[in-house]
Amino acid sequence: MIVAAFSDFMQQVVSGLASGGIYALLALALVIIHRSTGVINFAQGEMATFSAYIAWTLTVNHGLSYWPAFVACLAISFGGGVGIHRVVIRPVERGSVLRIVIVTIGLLVGINGFVIWEWGGEPQQLRSPFGTETYDVGGVIVAAHDIGTIAVALGIVLLLWLLFRFTKVGLALRAVAVNPDEARLVGVRVTWMLALGWGLAATLGAVAGMLTAPTVGLDPQMMQAVLIYAFAAAVLGGIDSPIGAVVGGLLLGVLLNMLSYLSQYGAFDWFTEELRLPAALLIILVVLLVKPTGIFGRPEVKRV
Amino acid sequence: MRRRFAPIAALATALCAIPVALAGSGADPGVSSTTILIGGTSPLTGPAASYATVARGAQAYFDFINAKGGAAKRKIEYRVVDDAYNPAQTVQAVRRLVEQDNVFAVFNTLGTEANLAIRDYLNQVKVPQLFVASGATTWGRDAAKYPWTIGFQPSYAAEGLVYGQYIAKTQKKAKVGVLFQNDDYGKDLLASLKSGLSRSGSKVVAAEPYQVTSPDVGSQIGKLKASGANVLAIFATPTFAIQAYVFANRLGWRPLIINNAVSATSNTMTLASEGGKNKSIEGTISTTPLKDPLNPRWKKDPGMKQYRAILAKYAKGANPNDANHLYGMAVAYETVGLLKGLGANPTRAGLMARARSIASAKNPFLLPGVSVKTGKGDNFPLQQGQLQRWMKGRWVPFGGLWTSKRN
Amino acid sequence: MTARTTRIIGFVAFAAFVAFVAVLPSFIGDFKAREYSYVGIYLIALLGLNILTGYTGQISLGHGAFMAIGGYTTAILMAGNEQFGGPISGGMKDVWTLPIAGLVAGLVGLAFGIPALRLSGLYLALATFAIAVAMPSTAKRFEEFTGGGSGIQLFGTPELTGSISNVEIFGLSFSPNDWMYYLAWSIALVAFAVAWLILRGRTGRAFRAVRDSEIAAVSSGVSLARYKTLAFAISAAYAGVAGGLFVIASAFINPDAFPVALSIYLLVGIVVGGLGGLSGLVFGAIFIAFLPLWAQGQDLGSLLPDRIIAETQKPGGPAMVYGIVLILLMFAIPNGVGGLFRRIGQLISSRRYSRAK
Repeated sequence: MIVAAFSDFMQQVVSGLASGGIYALLALALVIIHRSTGVINFAQGEMATFSAYIAWTLTVNHGLSYWPAFVACLAISFGGGVGIHRVVIRPVERGSVLRIVIVTIGLLVGINGFVIWEWGGEPQQLRSPFGTETYDVGGVIVAAHDIGTIAVALGIVLLLWLLFRFTKVGLALRAVAVNPDEARLVGVRVTWMLALGWGLAATLGAVAGMLTAPTVGLDPQMMQAVLIYAFAAAVLGGIDSPIGAVVGGLLLGVLLNMLSYLSQYGAFDWFTEELRLPAALLIILVVLLVKPTGIFGRPEVKRV
Repeated sequence: MRRRFAPIAALATALCAIPVALAGSGADPGVSSTTILIGGTSPLTGPAASYATVARGAQAYFDFINAKGGAAKRKIEYRVVDDAYNPAQTVQAVRRLVEQDNVFAVFNTLGTEANLAIRDYLNQVKVPQLFVASGATTWGRDAAKYPWTIGFQPSYAAEGLVYGQYIAKTQKKAKVGVLFQNDDYGKDLLASLKSGLSRSGSKVVAAEPYQVTSPDVGSQIGKLKASGANVLAIFATPTFAIQAYVFANRLGWRPLIINNAVSATSNTMTLASEGGKNKSIEGTISTTPLKDPLNPRWKKDPGMKQYRAILAKYAKGANPNDANHLYGMAVAYETVGLLKGLGANPTRAGLMARARSIASAKNPFLLPGVSVKTGKGDNFPLQQGQLQRWMKGRWVPFGGLWTSKRN
Repeated sequence: MTARTTRIIGFVAFAAFVAFVAVLPSFIGDFKAREYSYVGIYLIALLGLNILTGYTGQISLGHGAFMAIGGYTTAILMAGNEQFGGPISGGMKDVWTLPIAGLVAGLVGLAFGIPALRLSGLYLALATFAIAVAMPSTAKRFEEFTGGGSGIQLFGTPELTGSISNVEIFGLSFSPNDWMYYLAWSIALVAFAVAWLILRGRTGRAFRAVRDSEIAAVSSGVSLARYKTLAFAISAAYAGVAGGLFVIASAFINPDAFPVALSIYLLVGIVVGGLGGLSGLVFGAIFIAFLPLWAQGQDLGSLLPDRIIAETQKPGGPAMVYGIVLILLMFAIPNGVGGLFRRIGQLISSRRYSRAK
């Protein structure tokens, strides 16, 4: 009995980690764009959905097999990200924060509309690159896809670390984010670095979209719910920290499942499914107020 | 000063320039000698935009009828307004349809809450609220209080009862786990499932709600499996129903699955099968009053051939496998039937009187034998369905038609 | 121009606007009056949001939630929540609930304004966005208070003035639609005047100082905490009144009536109206009241080619148009219609100046 209860509990932990992996991937995209351009991109989720649809249409309507479609989707998304920066972000970049917020919201609404308009609102299926196998670990079942998702998230963290730490481009990206004017003075091509930041974020978003769709089903709204949790994950981990995004995502996934699991047994019995989303948002508020840099973020010096 | 207000004035004039329907003698608003104007809301944007295809299917059918000369020598104009699935916007849009556009009837408005928000108003101004696109029981049950409102689809309560009775009849001491959407729709199905199970050895051992704002239902399926249930009832919309199958499969859980009609189109089931790798869908039980666009059984069926032809011609680019189009056509078919019977001077009261005495047995989009019927004491147009079992990639009907008597 | 003549022009313009608002219904017809009552309602919310964002420089993506708080206050005071197991019996006439709606929302705004002190710019946008997103689920959770997803029905209740029959007041008779229009606009004009009074005085100067430079404001003796939370409270109170009126106009409330989109519309409204000015806000209000209809060609139908109308009426079409319009607006009129006015004004006065030279 106790063994069964323990494996049920562990199953909830595993399911929380699986959801957390999804939050982590999109949170990574949010972190990259914030870190390299200083923008909080409300359209990140929709961009990821759009990318997932591109992968889907390439495989279903254009007869590509999965991996070529995967690579093509990454390339298209990178181009799309750069394009979005050049066409719609650059004109408002220098203005008030408000204009950028509204432009990214315009993108959110517009891309969502386009996806429904072009591909319809009914769900579609995108297959997982990791297959549908599952493993039984002492009564707890783990899906290959979920392990793959978390591994990819960690792999991305490593790549980003290498990029920012050891390459000139990474250094330039950091310089631009910290102080664009000084970066320009030392010869960094600021606009292109910002465009690169958008391209990278869009590419990461594409990975997020393609790995989220097999679990939650490809539909035009799939990333809207994830986006909110991804915001919470990014803020929790530290909005400029890639490893923070992953840890924050996994932590959030497990935490929410635990609240829900324990509420069955009387603890936290005020917690019902309706509060899952508000709880995530409460985390955003509390972290922003108590420790705005999150778990892994470094304190930022406020410039006058 | 003038410069400042000129735009407002210009705007006001522009907004006022709307066509006023020329009423034929003795007919109600919205009827001219050549057209009948009906209107309704549909979520073209927002979280429920996938249901917009219901209105699109209906629109295509009206266009098809109009090309053949219309109903009662008039063309049917169907004006669809977006409400983004927000009842406050539904109220605005419907008042606009009634007071400004002068529609003859409000038709096929989608969503339980949206229709609740406009029901009192429409009954006050005595405009028909025809064939509400929602399965709440109240549309039929409260007909005496709201004579201008009538539903269409089988109620969720009737559907849940059928599943409950099916389990009670075929399973001994089944332990049922339920995944349900945390709103009226999910709760109606859950409550009626329980009442169908009552006085049998089977019972609901766990019921897990999900919010439409949740990304996934993995945690819920894990808990339902842990509850020891051997029957899983999925009362969820297509996206979440597909997830339920995916997660059940990942957990290696093989209960008998009951899937509600909303998510039981072949299209959805095929997606849930993950290209044939997901075995948990095999043997799923569901029910439907509609023919299934993907089922080869209807390949040569005249009704379904007509469905595909109409959609191809009047709704270019629409996916015929999306059964919402078919539902839209089925409800438009009945509307055309009502309008045809209204004679030279259609009135709203006449429309409602006919809507309360429908006897239509040959709707080409519904399963053979399923009839649309209303009459004294019966205010539920569609009360029949076919139990079906998913086997080897298609639905196989069994056990004849069921008819709900109580609701 | 001296300050005195500017003020006189301002008074005359306002009086003319009041007169215009008063006579408008007789020109636009009964139903249009109802649609323009929503313009008045949005104007109230925008006036409030503008105090916060336009004058004090704090972004809120969550004002729809404050409207919801006002809306629920009004609905619950009118219909009560005993039928869901709540403690309030209701029975208050609609108009009298509005000050309470404003007060309740204002207090919540004050409570939120205190933690919001620690946030600025994008982080405040994110935090307030979180509030807007959380509101519908939270309202569903506390079903015994709010009626849950099915909401509260107000149409035809005795507390609602003029559901269907004419309203007799001061010896005049108003159709229900005209009544809604005059109710919304009377409150909107009062709200406008109050906002003007607040903003022209010491408080307004303090708000602007906070927006322009927090450090400069502090060094000249302005208490940041006091004025920032005050701006939040006033702004939320405005939103609360607007929310109450919104519910009276819809005669229905449920959590879906206050989606995140509403909060976004409001922010868009003040940007269109021009941040930090009052007169342009009317255009912001018109914009958000009618854009959803324009985006699906409902009003502009005769001006656009059929093909475009057909495409925008496909699912997703209106949203696509809406998104594109938002982005283009940010390009075309970065300072909104109000900013456009100010620029025209500046051009005129600078020409005069150069001519005088």
